[in-house]
Amino acid sequence: MTTSTTDRVSPRVRGGARPPGGPTPVPSARRRRIRWQPAWLFMAPSLLILGVFVLYPILRTLYYSFFDWSVGAAVQPFVGFGNYIKLFQDPSFWNALGVTLEFTVVSVVLLIVLGLLTALALQSEGLASRITRSVFFFPTIVSLATIGLVWKFLLDPDIGLVGGVTKALGLAPVAWLQSAQLALPTLIFVSVWRSVGFAMILFVAALQGVPGERYEAGRLDGAGRFSLFWYITLPGIRPTMLFATMMLTIQSLQVFDLVYVMTGGGPLYRTDTLVNLIYRDGFVNFETGYAAAISWVLFALIMLISLLQLRIFRYNDVD
Amino acid sequence: MSTSATATRTSPGRPRAGRAGLRAGAALKWMYVGVGFVLALIPFIWMVSGSFRSEADLYQNPASLFPTSITLHGYIGVWQQLPFLRLLLNSFVFAGVTTALTVLFDSMCAYALARLRFVGRNVCFVLVIATLMVPFQVTLIPVFIQLFHLGWLNTYEGLIIPRATSAFGIFLFRQFFMSIPADLDEAARIDGAGHWRIYWRVIMPLAKPAIATVAILNFTNLWNDLLWPLVITSSNDMLTLPAGLTLFGGQHVTDHAVLLAGATISLVPIAIGFFFAQKYFIAGVATTGLK
Amino acid sequence: MRKKIAAALAATAIVALGLSGCSSSGSGTDSGGKVTLTLWTGFTGGDRPGYAQIVNDFNKSHSNIQVKMTVQPWDTIQQKLPSAWLTGQGPDLATPSSDPNAVADYVKKNSVLQITNTGSGDDQINVDKLAPGTVKEFTYDGKLYGVPANFATLSLYYNKKAFAAAGIDKPPATVDELAADAKKLTGNGQYGLVLADNQTIQMWPILQWLEGGDIVNAKNCSVVQSAAGQKSLSKWADLVSKDKVSPVGLTGAEADSLFSAGKAAMELNGPWAAPGYKKAGIDLGIATVPVGVDGSSVTLGSTAPLTISAKTKHPKEAQEFLAYWTSKKVQEKFSLKTGFPPLRTDLGDDAKLKNDPTISVFAAQVPDSRLYLPHVPNATKVDSDAYTTLIGQITRGTPVGTATKQAATTIDALTGCSS
Repeated sequence: MTTSTTDRVSPRVRGGARPPGGPTPVPSARRRRIRWQPAWLFMAPSLLILGVFVLYPILRTLYYSFFDWSVGAAVQPFVGFGNYIKLFQDPSFWNALGVTLEFTVVSVVLLIVLGLLTALALQSEGLASRITRSVFFFPTIVSLATIGLVWKFLLDPDIGLVGGVTKALGLAPVAWLQSAQLALPTLIFVSVWRSVGFAMILFVAALQGVPGERYEAGRLDGAGRFSLFWYITLPGIRPTMLFATMMLTIQSLQVFDLVYVMTGGGPLYRTDTLVNLIYRDGFVNFETGYAAAISWVLFALIMLISLLQLRIFRYNDVD
Repeated sequence: MSTSATATRTSPGRPRAGRAGLRAGAALKWMYVGVGFVLALIPFIWMVSGSFRSEADLYQNPASLFPTSITLHGYIGVWQQLPFLRLLLNSFVFAGVTTALTVLFDSMCAYALARLRFVGRNVCFVLVIATLMVPFQVTLIPVFIQLFHLGWLNTYEGLIIPRATSAFGIFLFRQFFMSIPADLDEAARIDGAGHWRIYWRVIMPLAKPAIATVAILNFTNLWNDLLWPLVITSSNDMLTLPAGLTLFGGQHVTDHAVLLAGATISLVPIAIGFFFAQKYFIAGVATTGLK
Repeated sequence: MRKKIAAALAATAIVALGLSGCSSSGSGTDSGGKVTLTLWTGFTGGDRPGYAQIVNDFNKSHSNIQVKMTVQPWDTIQQKLPSAWLTGQGPDLATPSSDPNAVADYVKKNSVLQITNTGSGDDQINVDKLAPGTVKEFTYDGKLYGVPANFATLSLYYNKKAFAAAGIDKPPATVDELAADAKKLTGNGQYGLVLADNQTIQMWPILQWLEGGDIVNAKNCSVVQSAAGQKSLSKWADLVSKDKVSPVGLTGAEADSLFSAGKAAMELNGPWAAPGYKKAGIDLGIATVPVGVDGSSVTLGSTAPLTISAKTKHPKEAQEFLAYWTSKKVQEKFSLKTGFPPLRTDLGDDAKLKNDPTISVFAAQVPDSRLYLPHVPNATKVDSDAYTTLIGQITRGTPVGTATKQAATTIDALTGCSS
């Protein structure tokens, strides 16, 4: 690497002033000018790939959203904000937005609560705990398509295990995925079932990271179990809470595979999420421009919610 | 593993408040865990058992978790209708090469983001994180058209290169690198080492747990990916195994044994990997959430 | 560590490069002057071997043309084909969808080639001999853009064991008998007549036609909300929502599962289902669809379009292949292998086909068959946004009057009905 010589630390610079309160021990601001080149070289492969295959395409999509764009059509008329106006008048968009938000809010809350509870139950390093944690975590690494397929069969009222057991218990089997009321809660259940191990692992690590002295100090002050949890555990795992909430929210807002495999958006659009709607408009109905507009609304929504979450958790660690 | 343990945490005296007292609490806890344990495993047991069950058996004894008699026709069906070994090879090439490239590119990028100061660093980091928020379906059509212009459709390049970096991996490496004391590279720098040497000789050897994590998580994701290989390839010889197995799904396909056999086959390599490397899977996820 | 990583990287890179060399497919002419045509189809079901046979036989008998067929699910084709054809990357030939109306989209995009090799010769496409409605279905502005890859009618499958147990000795002959039998056969974990309403070839239009109703009129205006339309839906909606002759909201595959599990006594289905049901050990009866209230027969015809890419380098060879595919001898063999009725009218009296108990039932209904929403503008959306929703609502208890009124508004907006 030829650049390396330019990066050698000269004593003069090392002794240079640090920006006041600068938290990082990495060298000072003064050296920025001579420093930027190697950084770009290091980042080049990743940035190139992300730029060409993610950022540029998403801008292309923005461009499409101002046209009545359709793959291969002879004319792609410019419609300005037409697609966006159409979207706000389209009941299927509002339906999909509602479904997506309901799915996201309920599953994220359940995942955080159950993930934390499970982590509290299994935080010890004993063998039983460790094995159980592995078992809980396993569904996370299985593809959603496989999980959707298996649960779809399991929940089938006539031939699935769940239906079979309900009948063996003398109850009427329930059509989980065919019922307009139950389909979305069922999808949420499967999604929570899959990801609870992920949340649990995050929280176990966070719980183990809370310094034991704090608890000792708390106990000396006469704090009970609940106070310890409320005043020491929860603040101690706040960064993890933020991370878990953000990751799970982003994932949930993008939910598609499960819907696609298990319900296809039905019955009566009760599980028609935004990405499923994008998929349908873009690939089934060939309204690429319109699908692009929905995509951008979803993208904006994800950004907005992520920023809000950063705000709520008062996360000011962006150095 | 020991490195990650020191890097991540483990404090000796954790909360033991009231653990002795509440027996009812403990019982409740283990009941909860027990139910969860069963719930987590049954679908997979049912899936594997279902792949060996005949249609008639499945229909007549839906409440049973195990086959009354074993049939291999699901597996035979898969074997006969797919170029199985070719797909297996494709899967390993796609997931393997992409993972190797991802680990390299992501760690390089993260090195710059975590260890170097330069104008635009925060912008870059935010841009990288922003790509996490883009659903794949949104960019599918433009990406397809781009790959066409590059002449990469239905090739390994087309399958691999667009996926050869992941924002999540960059994020994870960055978090990990930031936890490595800065004195180490300062010292190396005084010894006259350049960035490349510091990255390769100082940082990367310390980052083995992070490498293992990114590699494993990426490999799993790529292995499980269906839509990407289906869209990029146009001949069945180029498909990956899980994507190829979806070819058995269709409007008129009702043969559960074949579908479940397919699902089982595509799960086996991941399950074996998990069995032997679970600490990396778990440690990896755990590290991501810590600051 | 470093050496290991470097070695692993090098090794993987070599593998990748080595393999990429042999990966390119697609059409082309090799040094021997042999033309290779690629074909994408969505025939993943039990009829798949029949199509593979056509391709194999063609390759054997045509030394200068080789066809390479790739089978993938319809969804996958739907995702890939539009951009693949746009970019000229796609196959020379394809069945774009199981829904014949999808051809309209490709015609609009100029993605499909106009078929000109028609006539009465052996190496031409004998359009006047193809199943009723199919040629018209694939003709836009007087130009032909596809041929039927198959033609199927729906018949009434019934479980003889279930019939015997209920004391019914023969399949229903009229729609009223069908309703009465469905009711009688329902109970004890068994459904009388399973009706799928999504991800399926539609079964409900048949019931509507039998009861004297329809979906749209000749001007493409909705008639579901008319008195006849509502009446045709009400009876069957009640049978499902009140008498539970069928579970609600089934997909095609789920309905098929119930029938092969012996948990459904009757189902309306195409010939592709028969092999699976026999294999599942069902004592299977197949009968023509009962006659309607006016005494006439009707059923749904289903066809998958076979089209040529507008960008193919070998339009002549591709058309030659279509002519072969639809020729009399090939179709006779295909019918015998798959149980599909012949897609040619001149095979109607073919002795071999007539003697086959399965094929003959499906074939007998070809003259009375109707396509689903043929040439209705936005037909795929009318199906997904209006009709599927309508059936979903009325089988879940929404009053037929309310649901049909809403469906009518949606349909008229989609078809551009002005009246």
